[in-house]
Amino acid sequence: MDDVTRNTTPAPGRFAVHQLRQWFPVGLLALLCLGFALTSDRFLTVNNGLIILQQSAVLLVAAVAMTFVIVSGSIDLSVGSIVALSALAAAALSDQLGVWAVLPAIAVGLACGLVNGLLFAYGKIPSFIATLGTMVIFRGLVLLYTKGAPVSISDRGFLVFYTGRTFGMPNAVLIAVLAMIVAAIIFNHTVFGREVRAVGGGERVALLSGIRVNRVKLWVFVVSGGLCGLAGLLQSGRTMAATAQLAQGLELDVIAAVVVGGTPLTGGIGRIRGTVLGVLIIAILSNGMNMTGVDPYLQNIFKGLVLIVAVFLTIDRSKILVIK
Amino acid sequence: MLSARHISKFFGASQALRDVSVDFHPGEVVGLVGENGAGKSTLLKVLAAVHPRTGGQATLEGKVYAPQDQRAAERAGVALVFQELNVNRCLSIAENIMLGYLRNYRRLGLIDWQRLQADSQAILDRIGADFRVTDDIDTLDLGRIKTIEVARALATNPHFVFFDESTAFLSQAEAVRLMSVIGELKSQGIGIAFVSHHLHEVFEIADRLIVLKDGAVVGDWATQEMTEESLAEQMVGREMIGGLFPPATGNLGAIRIEMRAAVTAQGIGPVDLAVRAGEVFGIGGLKGSGGEAILAALAGVEPLTKGEMLLNGTPHRPRHPAEAWAAGIAHLPGDRTGEGVITDFSVLENVTLAERPARARVFSDQARMAGIAQAQIAALGIKTDGPGAAVGSLSGGNMQKVLLGKCLAVTPALLLLNNPTRGVDIGAKAEIYRVIRRLAAEGLAVLMVTEDLPELLGLSDRVIVTRNGRVSQAFDRGAELNEQEVVRWMM
Repeated sequence: MDDVTRNTTPAPGRFAVHQLRQWFPVGLLALLCLGFALTSDRFLTVNNGLIILQQSAVLLVAAVAMTFVIVSGSIDLSVGSIVALSALAAAALSDQLGVWAVLPAIAVGLACGLVNGLLFAYGKIPSFIATLGTMVIFRGLVLLYTKGAPVSISDRGFLVFYTGRTFGMPNAVLIAVLAMIVAAIIFNHTVFGREVRAVGGGERVALLSGIRVNRVKLWVFVVSGGLCGLAGLLQSGRTMAATAQLAQGLELDVIAAVVVGGTPLTGGIGRIRGTVLGVLIIAILSNGMNMTGVDPYLQNIFKGLVLIVAVFLTIDRSKILVIK
Repeated sequence: MLSARHISKFFGASQALRDVSVDFHPGEVVGLVGENGAGKSTLLKVLAAVHPRTGGQATLEGKVYAPQDQRAAERAGVALVFQELNVNRCLSIAENIMLGYLRNYRRLGLIDWQRLQADSQAILDRIGADFRVTDDIDTLDLGRIKTIEVARALATNPHFVFFDESTAFLSQAEAVRLMSVIGELKSQGIGIAFVSHHLHEVFEIADRLIVLKDGAVVGDWATQEMTEESLAEQMVGREMIGGLFPPATGNLGAIRIEMRAAVTAQGIGPVDLAVRAGEVFGIGGLKGSGGEAILAALAGVEPLTKGEMLLNGTPHRPRHPAEAWAAGIAHLPGDRTGEGVITDFSVLENVTLAERPARARVFSDQARMAGIAQAQIAALGIKTDGPGAAVGSLSGGNMQKVLLGKCLAVTPALLLLNNPTRGVDIGAKAEIYRVIRRLAAEGLAVLMVTEDLPELLGLSDRVIVTRNGRVSQAFDRGAELNEQEVVRWMM
């Protein structure tokens, strides 16, 4: 009864829609740049370009992490808190370790991811709930340690390295891009990357095909946590301190960047490339609105609208039976 | 009287009902019987307007009966009790009975609980239910839950009630209770049509028997004219399609897989079986009677609670499907798109999904995977735009070949098949049978569970039949396999 021969080649109309979905992030990015360039002469400058890249470094690393999580069919709401906790680890140990404060930051991120992964994959708690809980707990640990006071970074080595530039490019940006490239290779060219997509595309199929689904889920969160640890390090360098409010609400920007980049929350499909575009869209939108003097009290409304319009235009409703 | 004439029904290109003409009378129980896919459920669903009919007419009490949807059919007096359980355990019994008609119980915008419960209780009393609407729904067994669904059908005050395999999920005692409810309805002058795979139930309760085969009515008899044997004969009564099943050619090798007094987690068993290299071993039986559980145990999906399994003479205790695949056991599950292939993924990605070297390394070897995909596309004749085409764009037959390709890409020693040609057209079926036969001749051991009788008899060298979780009969190699005989051991 389900043996109805389906079209193997999409009809012309469908093809156009498919193309639109593919190119929407690029088009939106171009449109934003064009609009801001026309309304502000300070937007399209090398200096502002570097500022945008610097502002998006943390978001990029965290959004690449989130791409793994979302493509595997899950969600991680604790990324902002992991970033804050790792930033705190880096800041607190920067005097002793200097540049090597990156190690405790990533270690804290990995540990947080391990907790998330164990709760989700083996505790069988839905990732939304598990990471909602750990989001509060990780943030609570930051509060407990700092008692609300900022932990500032004074180590010269640390600051020179993480806020400096190489060949005119901010080191933080270079680190973020390097992390993104490594992550993209893992995502596209490793067996693990393929298994992540398989788990998100059809968990039951993956399991019955002999993929160790729970192990993949655990590792997705560990990898995500480790990347968020790196993002925390970059964040601490940018603010030269760790505070209790650091990266609060970051998870929303991160999820927005991934989704605007064309990765559906349903799992199985997605691209690191799309996420990079999504990050740039979010970063340029914020930067451009500041440049063109959009009322700061209006900016959140615009950001929300862009997210909704992007998903409205790009989502493939034919595959989704129940929208929830 | 409900009278249907020349009813036809298409699902896409496949015809589920052909020129069906039947009459249902008040106060009469009609048993609809036939094999899987004969069109019994479709007929009831078309008459209850769950599915729109493609052609034909119907009259109810002499007036044209052409309801637009199930609600309209209920208003006209025709209600259907589905095969699946459709009771929401979060709601009370009364809410479940009046589900869909709760608007009639509004008072100032809120639900008038007293009236709702009184009316629901009246329906339960009418069918002699032994529980009350105020009981906790979680304390009811499946038979009583089914009774709630019967009560829901009665809430519409029907003249005709259709039961679509309503005893499929019930235990013996629960089924007996439902039978007595049906008897009660009959005595109240309600016309009943009843689909069941359990022939003894049909004989117990039906006044008249209608046999369907391949979507058409084979015949219509008073129950006392028939015996279980003559009914099975009418149900099957088809000629074997010559050439669909290639003859067995290979020689039998050593025992590949053996189950000894194996009992599965769902309580299926004890099962003893041994499959040799070079043979196709078939397991027949009604859905849920044990075949799928046997496959699940061998494939590492469900552990055994008792007994043991031996693969090439050494203990086989897979704790995860990965261990079964690694041991050379390929598993083709029964639900193609839910368990077999990822429709968003390409042919290449699906075919190599279970392949071990494609999984055991760090970096995926694209060139090697493309080679495997090309080889399977060629070997199985998969019609696709290329290895990069999404599996969701293929026809059911080609999707099934991709799934088979995924199993064969691992060059297995044992192939587990669950309904290998379900929903596949005859051409693809023949190709799949040829491939399975050829691989068996080359020394593969094949264990197949199927609900398709011709497939079971035509492809298998040996057959066992399961019934209620036990092996009811074994037919040895070379035994004269007779459809009626096999069907009788299933029921």
